[in-house]
Amino acid sequence: MKINRHSCYKVIAILIIVIMAIAFAFPLYWIITGSFKTAKAINATTPQWWPSEWVLDNYQKLFSRQSAPLWELKIPLIKAAFRGPKVPAALRWLVNTVFMAVASMLLTCATSAMAGYALAKKRFIGRTVVFSLIVCAMALPKQVILIPLIREMSSLHMYNTIWAVILPIVGWPFGVFLIKQFSEGIPGEMLEAARIDGASEWKTFSTIALPMLKPGIGALAIFTFINSWNDYFMQLIMLSSTENLTISLGIAKLQAENSIDFGLIMAGAAVAAVPIIIVFIIFQKYFTKGITMGAVKG
Amino acid sequence: MRLRRILALAMTGAMVLSAAAVTANAEETTDITLWTYPVGNWGDSAAVDGLIASFEEAHPEIHVSVEYLDYTNGDDQVNTAIEGGEAPDVILEGPERLVANWGAKGVMVDLSDLWTDEAKEAIYDSVEAACQNNDGVFYEYPLCMTAHTMAVNRDLFEAADALQYLDEETHTWTTEGFINAVQALYDYGQENVAAVFCGGQGGDQGTRALVNNLYGGTFTDAEHTKYTADSPENIKALELLAGMDGINFDASIVGGDEINLFVNGTLAMAFCWNVAQEKTNADLVDFDILPMAFPTESGDPQLCGGIWGFGVFDNGDEARIEAAKTFIDFMANDETQVVEAVKVSSYWPVKDLGNIYEGDDLMTEYAAFVQYLGDYYQVVPGWAEARTAWWNMLQQIGSGTDVTTAVAEFSETANAAAAQ
Amino acid sequence: MSRALVRRETVSGYLFMLPCLIFFLGFVIYPMVQCIVTSFFDSTMNRDDIFIGLGNYAELFQDKIFLGALRNTVIIVIVSVPVVCIFSLWVSSVLYDLSGPLCSLFRCVFYLPVVTGSVAVTVVWKWMFNNYYGIFNYLGKNAGLIDKNINWLGDERFALGCIILILLTTSVGQPIVLYVSALGNVDQALVEAAEVDGATRLQVFWKIKWPQIKPTTLYILVITTINSFQCFALIQLLTSGGPNHSTDTIMYYIYYNAFKLYRYGYGNAMGVVLAIIIAVLSAIQFKASKSD
Repeated sequence: MKINRHSCYKVIAILIIVIMAIAFAFPLYWIITGSFKTAKAINATTPQWWPSEWVLDNYQKLFSRQSAPLWELKIPLIKAAFRGPKVPAALRWLVNTVFMAVASMLLTCATSAMAGYALAKKRFIGRTVVFSLIVCAMALPKQVILIPLIREMSSLHMYNTIWAVILPIVGWPFGVFLIKQFSEGIPGEMLEAARIDGASEWKTFSTIALPMLKPGIGALAIFTFINSWNDYFMQLIMLSSTENLTISLGIAKLQAENSIDFGLIMAGAAVAAVPIIIVFIIFQKYFTKGITMGAVKG
Repeated sequence: MRLRRILALAMTGAMVLSAAAVTANAEETTDITLWTYPVGNWGDSAAVDGLIASFEEAHPEIHVSVEYLDYTNGDDQVNTAIEGGEAPDVILEGPERLVANWGAKGVMVDLSDLWTDEAKEAIYDSVEAACQNNDGVFYEYPLCMTAHTMAVNRDLFEAADALQYLDEETHTWTTEGFINAVQALYDYGQENVAAVFCGGQGGDQGTRALVNNLYGGTFTDAEHTKYTADSPENIKALELLAGMDGINFDASIVGGDEINLFVNGTLAMAFCWNVAQEKTNADLVDFDILPMAFPTESGDPQLCGGIWGFGVFDNGDEARIEAAKTFIDFMANDETQVVEAVKVSSYWPVKDLGNIYEGDDLMTEYAAFVQYLGDYYQVVPGWAEARTAWWNMLQQIGSGTDVTTAVAEFSETANAAAAQ
Repeated sequence: MSRALVRRETVSGYLFMLPCLIFFLGFVIYPMVQCIVTSFFDSTMNRDDIFIGLGNYAELFQDKIFLGALRNTVIIVIVSVPVVCIFSLWVSSVLYDLSGPLCSLFRCVFYLPVVTGSVAVTVVWKWMFNNYYGIFNYLGKNAGLIDKNINWLGDERFALGCIILILLTTSVGQPIVLYVSALGNVDQALVEAAEVDGATRLQVFWKIKWPQIKPTTLYILVITTINSFQCFALIQLLTSGGPNHSTDTIMYYIYYNAFKLYRYGYGNAMGVVLAIIIAVLSAIQFKASKSD
């Protein structure tokens, strides 16, 4: 009897979860099918659950709108630049976004690994002060400092460059905190032994600490990548010219300009969403592992 | 190993060389940026590229890159860029932004040297008055102008037997006719006759003109020093609109959305309309559009004018400012270019260029509205704040706040901004 | 420790910290200090700042819109944090019983809105909420729940609710992943022992599982709180704070003051107040986690 009641609950629970899962997957489904619908089908008062006619018009419109060089490498001081071939702006936005996410990921991991290790394992003067500063700043929303940040980027001549978005992400100290928690687990005797063997500080770090921190750095890398891919606020205030936009910002602009051309907007949203979802599905195992790792130590 | 080193060397060499080539090029030309709001087809790169190409042909020493703004976020985008020190060199918009907003903030260049005696002679006086601030400093050099109208879906009106309430010949109607027409459409089954859009700035002149015209109110006083939206005429008009079936105060849409909803047949009327809307949406419309003046009691509509022209942001670089002025001079004064530039906007020139739309029926039809052009009041100080307060006020009314209270709050906010 | 060792540790410590400190001090602490300083000034575009002491702060607490925005922010946090925690714990408790592939499939699906990105998710929600051809109105009308189209995002009564709903869908992905793995790590020997002793499922949950997943819960509380406070894209893209300021949050109101009203000092003062609120909250949460 008791078992029966339990399995009854289980069936209902799974049913509810299936319904919820459909609701969660629906926006994505709607983006992808919507991007292939005709304008008429999209604005129909009776929704078309499955496109009766598949068209590429929306993508054609998206890709013929504006163009931009595929990449642009600016060399400071001599004012020179190398530009890639002209492509639809949406592709350039993807390139920018990937660059931004990867660069912030690499920089964050590198700086945090070193700093987190030092905070956990070095007994230096001012350690507590630095650490409390980091803990305090961690919860700080970036919007709070938007005005000073714009002015700062402007005086550094970085406004309207992708670096204006990357640098504040790297500065955000969550990574340091995370790696510090991981570093606590490194046995002090091992470091001591290396020191007695005459290894330099750097060598100790790179040969002993770093391998042990690998899982933590992996977690941080995934975390930073998703966060910066989805960060919208910094991009909104820091980037303005078409060729410097990221994909989120590009889609947001697309929406403002063509407010109810939903087909076009869905095509843009699909271009933004599909690549990252593919990455996610391929690395799914690492993603979930990374997320849990961060939580266990954080 | 050796091969790799040679390759690397060769690569570096190539990079340095091409860098040098690029630098050499860069020294000869001045790069300027143009940001345009979607003034007719000035928001469409296909149309603008042609204009830029002919400018660069005439002035190979100047290179222009264009960015397109929208009315929803465009202002924020310019404001952040100003703060970030990357404001555009040239911007295309109307005096309400260039003169009353950024001009008043002191971030724009005085364009007096473009306003030669000859230019002042040629350009219509009302336009000239709008392009300067109260001290006579010119922050805008105008290109084109139009009268903002509204439009109705003629097919729907016919079906609902509502054509009797308007005058198709003169494109005018009375307040009473408007009320009857909306009722007729609503009774006919058109649940959404029209929308008083108030989701944000963009197309707000449509809602202002509607409210002002219904009972003969004004938006500002004649001297352009304070806002008069709290006059009894305006309150009466807002109360009327708030109480009408079929008219939604819709805070989820802005002017651009309203146009789209009208074009795809969802709404029977558009308050945010002018000739450019009819031109750019021609392919999408499958009904007859009838442009109309806003309804009035007196039979004397006062339409809101739109004036668009160029302004120059002060980026502290003389060469770029000069190049920007050269650009404006070419676009707005060169005899053949100005015609093309105005035609891209699909509005009318700000000086007598003869009939540039010879044989264009649509333009001839809309030219009838020019006689109803009212006062260009969008230059009152504190315009940006007032415009924000205006849509907040409409949102409040839409949420059921008492009209008098909402209007009083608007007046207080807007007039405080005007007094600063 | 000997003096020399302390010196050595300090030097090497700071050398290791250096790259991080450059970014941290340069792009977080310096702007924060600037923010605090300008909050005492009347600062606007292209004009020298005027010192007004606590003027901005005094005005802040009389500003109805700011107080409304504060209230909305608090509502968002108070509603979304517990709902996210409870919902994801419940979903995970069902999921972890399922077979491996099925569990990871569902986990994946609930994580989808997170990876899709807030902007792409938001634009499709905007369409679904549309007043004229949105899917919600269609479903509601067909099911007989509503008899007239509802202007979801344009109606004061519903707009904030819609925002919270979207926020929830983009927030539960990570907690579910965390809870599934936390439940998987619960010591099975203890659970079995309790079951042998005849404990009910509820008792097993409270007495055995809950203490073991408590640290995870605290972590989820912290990240969800931070996330809810930072909710900006949804509001900027869907409602711009309207209708009638009913979806203004402090985040959006700071942006609004800075770039629509040009009141930089005032916006900064708001930022400082918000930072203090968040700091206090995190301190409480930090304390709570330490006391265990």
